[in-house]
Amino acid sequence: MSGENILYHKEHTWAKIEGEQVRVGISDYAQDQLGELIFIELPEVGAEFRQGEVFGQAESTKTVSALHMPISGEVIAVNEDLENDPELVNNDPYGKGWIILVEPHDLKESDNLLTKEEYINLLKG
Amino acid sequence: MTITIFSVTGCVRCKIAKNFMSEQGISFVEKNMKEEGKEDFQAFYKANRNAIFRGPEGIEFPIIYDGENIRQSIGAVMAFLYHGKKLDGFFSVGTMHKEWVDGIHVSGGNPKYTEEFLEVLRFLKNNNFKLQVDTNGKNSSILKRIFEENLADVLIMNVLGPEKLYGQLAGEEIDIEDVKRSLALIPEFPKFKIQTTIVPVTREDGTVNYLTPEEIGETAKFIEEGTGTKKNPYVIKAFNPKTSSNPAYKSLEPLENLFPYRSKARMYQVFTEIEN
Repeated sequence: MSGENILYHKEHTWAKIEGEQVRVGISDYAQDQLGELIFIELPEVGAEFRQGEVFGQAESTKTVSALHMPISGEVIAVNEDLENDPELVNNDPYGKGWIILVEPHDLKESDNLLTKEEYINLLKG
Repeated sequence: MTITIFSVTGCVRCKIAKNFMSEQGISFVEKNMKEEGKEDFQAFYKANRNAIFRGPEGIEFPIIYDGENIRQSIGAVMAFLYHGKKLDGFFSVGTMHKEWVDGIHVSGGNPKYTEEFLEVLRFLKNNNFKLQVDTNGKNSSILKRIFEENLADVLIMNVLGPEKLYGQLAGEEIDIEDVKRSLALIPEFPKFKIQTTIVPVTREDGTVNYLTPEEIGETAKFIEEGTGTKKNPYVIKAFNPKTSSNPAYKSLEPLENLFPYRSKARMYQVFTEIEN
């Protein structure tokens, strides 16, 4: 996965709609800014978050960054591989480095997210 | 007991700590978190992340771990390697880099271990570090020794507040004459700064409010009397309620206007400035 067919939250998380579910991760830009990740604080399965709310944390030796929910919903799965290998997020942010799987409350909220082009423009400032 | 040292490639301070352990015959194993020790560091971090300090530039290295105790940054690491827990309180995790070491607190430790404390300061100086040392006035005899041996490149004195509240602000019984002796020494240091953070106080009736401008004026007068001059570099700072562990203080609104405080302070310390 290269980042195509993905929508972005302005706080650098991405959302990929997979039928009734949404897979969430952080963008390639975000992982690069963070540097080598040493820990991802994952939410509990079953936890619910509103769009924009902080659902976890990504930690490197350089810094700690909050992870923002791109779409409101319930966490139905977390990527347990990240417990022992947080660098999956660095190495494959759109693939094996996914962070949570969400059952969204309202898919129409994706209208609030950015396309790839809009996200790139955001980064360009 | 083998010590694990977590290091980073290119970390000069890590090398100094390792060399010391080698010279002293202290058994240790190095885990370079950028190289072969990456996974070990991740596991250690996961298990201890609430105990690991982050400065403005990230996690401070070196980190040593003896299976029970974690120490970070060169000052605290060397203090532990030299004397174990005896020097706890004198050193905390420093955040300055390049040739500077901070996190050195004259008032924080047990004066019974003065010689041990000075030994570590000498070691750091002999390794070409410049030391930023702070005090709240307690342990003036140690401060005097630091002055005599030229062990502080910068001295910061935190004058906590007016004399009448000093013990309460320090959170312990304070010999105010000890603080006065420290104040008398301060202007002798080649480079120093005096500062007061305008903190909340629990009053006798149980109410909580910030030190008042008048009390800061009294603090500045206390400084004038102790140092013998109105012309010290003196800064006053706002307290950040979010950093407090006391729920009564945490809920306070931050002070926004420090000008009344500066006005009162300038009556006795003419160079008072506000530091953001």
